[in-house]
Amino acid sequence: MNTHMRMAGLAAAVGLLLVMGPGCSTKAVQTASDSESGEPAVSKEPPVSEQDLLAKSPSGSGPAGGSKEIQVAKVAPSDAARRHAEEVKKERAASALAGLQDVFFGFDSWNLSEDGKQALEADAQWLQSNPDKVVTIEGHCDERGTQAYNLVLGEKRAKAVRNYLVELGVGSGRLTVTSYGKERPFCNGHDESCYQQNRRGHIGLRVR
Amino acid sequence: MKQIRTITVLAYVVVSAGLVGIMESAATDVFLEATRPDFQKIPIGVLEFQGQRVPGEAAQRVAEVLKADLQRSQIFSVTDLAKLGIKVDEKLDLLNGAQLPLFKQAADNGVAVLVWGKMATRDTDLVFDGYAYDGGTAELLIGKRYAGGPPTLRQMAHRLADELVSRFTGEPGIARTKIAYVSDQRGGRELFVMDYDGETPRQVTADGFLDLTPQWSPDRRYLVFTAYRNRRKQTVDMIELATGKRRTLVALAGLNITPVFSPDGRYLAFATSQDGNSEIYTLDLRTNGLQRLTFQPAGDLSPFWSPTGRELAFTSDRGGGPQIYIMNADGSNVRRLTFEGDYNAAPAWSPRGDWIAFVCRTQEALFKLCLITPDGQKRLQITTGPGIDDSPSWSPDGRHLVFSSMVDDQSHIFMINRDGTERERLTKGGMRHSSPSWSPA
Repeated sequence: MNTHMRMAGLAAAVGLLLVMGPGCSTKAVQTASDSESGEPAVSKEPPVSEQDLLAKSPSGSGPAGGSKEIQVAKVAPSDAARRHAEEVKKERAASALAGLQDVFFGFDSWNLSEDGKQALEADAQWLQSNPDKVVTIEGHCDERGTQAYNLVLGEKRAKAVRNYLVELGVGSGRLTVTSYGKERPFCNGHDESCYQQNRRGHIGLRVR
Repeated sequence: MKQIRTITVLAYVVVSAGLVGIMESAATDVFLEATRPDFQKIPIGVLEFQGQRVPGEAAQRVAEVLKADLQRSQIFSVTDLAKLGIKVDEKLDLLNGAQLPLFKQAADNGVAVLVWGKMATRDTDLVFDGYAYDGGTAELLIGKRYAGGPPTLRQMAHRLADELVSRFTGEPGIARTKIAYVSDQRGGRELFVMDYDGETPRQVTADGFLDLTPQWSPDRRYLVFTAYRNRRKQTVDMIELATGKRRTLVALAGLNITPVFSPDGRYLAFATSQDGNSEIYTLDLRTNGLQRLTFQPAGDLSPFWSPTGRELAFTSDRGGGPQIYIMNADGSNVRRLTFEGDYNAAPAWSPRGDWIAFVCRTQEALFKLCLITPDGQKRLQITTGPGIDDSPSWSPDGRHLVFSSMVDDQSHIFMINRDGTERERLTKGGMRHSSPSWSPA
């Protein structure tokens, strides 16, 4: 397929995913966490009126430059954080109960170690004997480096895990890949023992 | 008429700033460049404001906010008038040429501009009159009346500060700009917006998990950001600040991260891993046309437009570790910009175009901020100390940067001058604040 055709195909595929004009909602990707019901309350910057006291005509009164204040709507209270935290807890417990093992990486590396491969071989066996189960492979990083680069590094780790599981015969349709970079560490310390815990590919068993 | 007066004032400033520079050269302040190497700050004095009948020391609070704004502007240096014994009667109703000795005293002490104001109440509103005078001649340069409820007090000061900056530089001030950032909120990482001085933080999202890397639209109405509303499916979203209305702009397979608007607001540049590894794309917001810019079996991310919109700086690990590269906006003419050190990432092009700020790993393996010229000829490290520094973002006037710095469990947002001096912590409470992005002016 030539590049032109690929770009055209891509654009068409993306067209389905992208949201068109303003006001259009994106039902395809919106989740239940949307609080689209009703107009959000705008916590307006309190207005300041401004008048130039040096202006020749006294009619120079009014909110000159008043439109420049950035207005921020008030956020509706949400229990999303609690819900996410509960789900994470449940998934971690389910992964532990199933005996699924995580894999660990060297600094700035996404290469699987021999230990890591062994762990994944056990995970693959479990997945093959539990064909109805699906997992999310989360890539994690230690706190060093930038947020953005660690998102990419975490994804490389998660994909290395996914690719090895696929190589071992697990259907790729049962494996979702994501990366949390350094944002969701397992260990909250700031030394190498913690860093090592956080350079991780986590096998999260999906709970329904 | 107004035009003529403006020109006169500017001419005055250039001349007086030059003279003052000579006078001040023996003073203790070391003046570092603001816009050009020979720039000398303009000495300004803020007299005690009259506001006897207003409760809560409102007039004094306006004066304090104003002084902080002026000091931060890097255009002015704020003289301590009380120390020089320069003061006005607290009952003074109008400052003018009748108090000429006071202006002469100020001029003798090198004060080029004097600011005085008075505050009164009108119904439930505060009414603040702010005046700026030539320090020597008592000529009235600015007279503004601001009225609003007590919560607008800081805004009144910011407006007068911006008025002074724009009068003396011809450029908009930054006292009414805002900073978007990410903050922990009940376990989730949510977007927030605060004033440029760290005041009045406001929560923008409540997704409960992870929102990252906000960037402003040029018209300041929208933030675009990396969103994990669903823990497994991650998108690039845009939120309208005034309404909270939300749109998903990019939901391609894989990670969709580090979005940024082009300077004209028409395009979005971002990174997506739909091709297997992270690549940089642009999205035409008018036509929804997508264009892939990078084609590498490596991670390409964190695009940032040059102020002209003709080029993009970005992070790539195509050479091994992450380094900063520059390419044309159509993906052509890629060249590597950074060669010193094995970890350079998160580029931010200054609005003046002359520097690119980024995160550099030092020889001591610390993550600090560095600047480099777009031709790679000059490079310097501008932060030191133990923190893990990240996410540099320029002020719209190009004189300051904000960034996050993490030490142990605490991550805060700091402002610094672009030469690394005058570090100021902006976030107050809380534990983890990150991903700052400075709004346009």
